[in-house]
Amino acid sequence: MSDTARPAPHALALQVEDLRVSYGPKRAVDGVALEINEGEIFGLLGPNGAGKTTTLSAIEGLVRPDSGSIRIGDIDARANPAAAKARMGVQLQSTSFQSSLTIREIVRLYAGLYGVPLSRAGVDDLLANVHLGEEASKRFSQLSGGQQKRVSLVIATIQSPPLVLLDEPTAGLDPQARRQLWDRIERLRDIGRSILLTTHSMEEAQAVCHRVAIIDNGKLITVDTPAGLIEKHKNDPRVLKVAHGQVTLEDVFIGLTGSDLRD
Amino acid sequence: MSTQSGVPASRPPTLSGILRALLEADLTVQLRNGRALLLTFFPPLAVLYGLSTAKRGAQLGGPIVNVALALTLGIALIAILGYTASVASDRELGVFQRLRVTPAPTWTIMVSRLSVQVVSMLAMSVVVLVAAAVIEKVTLDPAAYLLTLAMVILCSAVFLGVGQALVGLIKSVDTVNALGRLSFLPLVALGLFGHSDVFGTTFETISRWSPGGAVATLLSGAMHPVAWTADTWWALLASVLYSIIFAGIGIRWFQWSTR
Repeated sequence: MSDTARPAPHALALQVEDLRVSYGPKRAVDGVALEINEGEIFGLLGPNGAGKTTTLSAIEGLVRPDSGSIRIGDIDARANPAAAKARMGVQLQSTSFQSSLTIREIVRLYAGLYGVPLSRAGVDDLLANVHLGEEASKRFSQLSGGQQKRVSLVIATIQSPPLVLLDEPTAGLDPQARRQLWDRIERLRDIGRSILLTTHSMEEAQAVCHRVAIIDNGKLITVDTPAGLIEKHKNDPRVLKVAHGQVTLEDVFIGLTGSDLRD
Repeated sequence: MSTQSGVPASRPPTLSGILRALLEADLTVQLRNGRALLLTFFPPLAVLYGLSTAKRGAQLGGPIVNVALALTLGIALIAILGYTASVASDRELGVFQRLRVTPAPTWTIMVSRLSVQVVSMLAMSVVVLVAAAVIEKVTLDPAAYLLTLAMVILCSAVFLGVGQALVGLIKSVDTVNALGRLSFLPLVALGLFGHSDVFGTTFETISRWSPGGAVATLLSGAMHPVAWTADTWWALLASVLYSIIFAGIGIRWFQWSTR
């Protein structure tokens, strides 16, 4: 990571160093290093299979890294995973909850798992805050895509974690729902949360992220602010080759990761 | 103290708090699927009625063995078909992955699920024992009832272990369901003849020491403690070993995700 890509020094919410993860003989994450400052929204961009979700999974404790270190604030996540998990909120790429439980019961379950004392009225207030008050008695599968994402975000932030990990939080949403979710993400930042999100949307990266990193074949290629990335790579021949007029973040992304279709 | 989003500040979650939250959720799911649970009560009751009225019912070992066989079937149904199907389905949906990113230790997720299954099996056993008193006129001393329910818990461990191994090693929901049904033959149906030589003594021996046979022997012994024999002790030992082996395999190699 270049020094120019780093904003003014802050305490780090997340520090990942030399992270390596393999699935059998395949190296999915290969020496990834990144730092996220407190109150920062950091975007991880990459084609399908680039290693975004695996990087997040390693931070979340879902996959065991081959090597590397992960620190959530001052906690070593590999040595003390329970304490690290208590300090981070997670929205998985495809989340589901017990199909027989109502939204109210799901929120109550996760509040219990994070040690948050929530009464029934407290749960209802929380759901009303995200305009889901009337859906409290419904099952998760009965909600629209946007409502499901809101429930997932409520649960990801139920213990007010300093770090929130969002894996493609707006995938499959209509523009209205996407904008609403961006607002919610920015509100989290406004109250001091640090956010690491993955996305395929350059528009999203530019709209909400302070800094973005491009990852491909398990390696971090570049990190900077969205504008900084364009400035840094606007004269790269690979970028110029795919640009149509003024260089955009998408041109930089495709130029650096290639135009080939990924699985 | 509350956070800016209006949620009371969290304390580090305690183990008891985590288990309470999981048990509450799992019990709610189980009760909400009450119809499916009641359906698992029906086959043991049907077997009990069938054995008590059939001419050859007595050849399988008499009224107490008939009740033990009905209990064995009920326990196996809940464990091998019900438990495995719900775990395989939730895994496919990603329910476990979501739980695993919380501070809850993974063992608490499984312990909660298994505990709820044991409660269901105890409920089924009470229903079967009441039916046995009505249909087979089999009534036990209070101590024998307590011993039987204690042995039901051990027998639950045998078949939940089998179910855990099945769903732990196989990712596909369809394959888990198909193998669950197929495994009934060697695991449960074979045990029906552990107290009968209608198919010869070799078959009887194999049947007696199959998981279903060992469980049926153990439950028969628990219901009639004065007739507790060396075979009952061997059945107890076999049940403990089956539990450890199957559960060990199912826990050690359990795959939390289908990916």
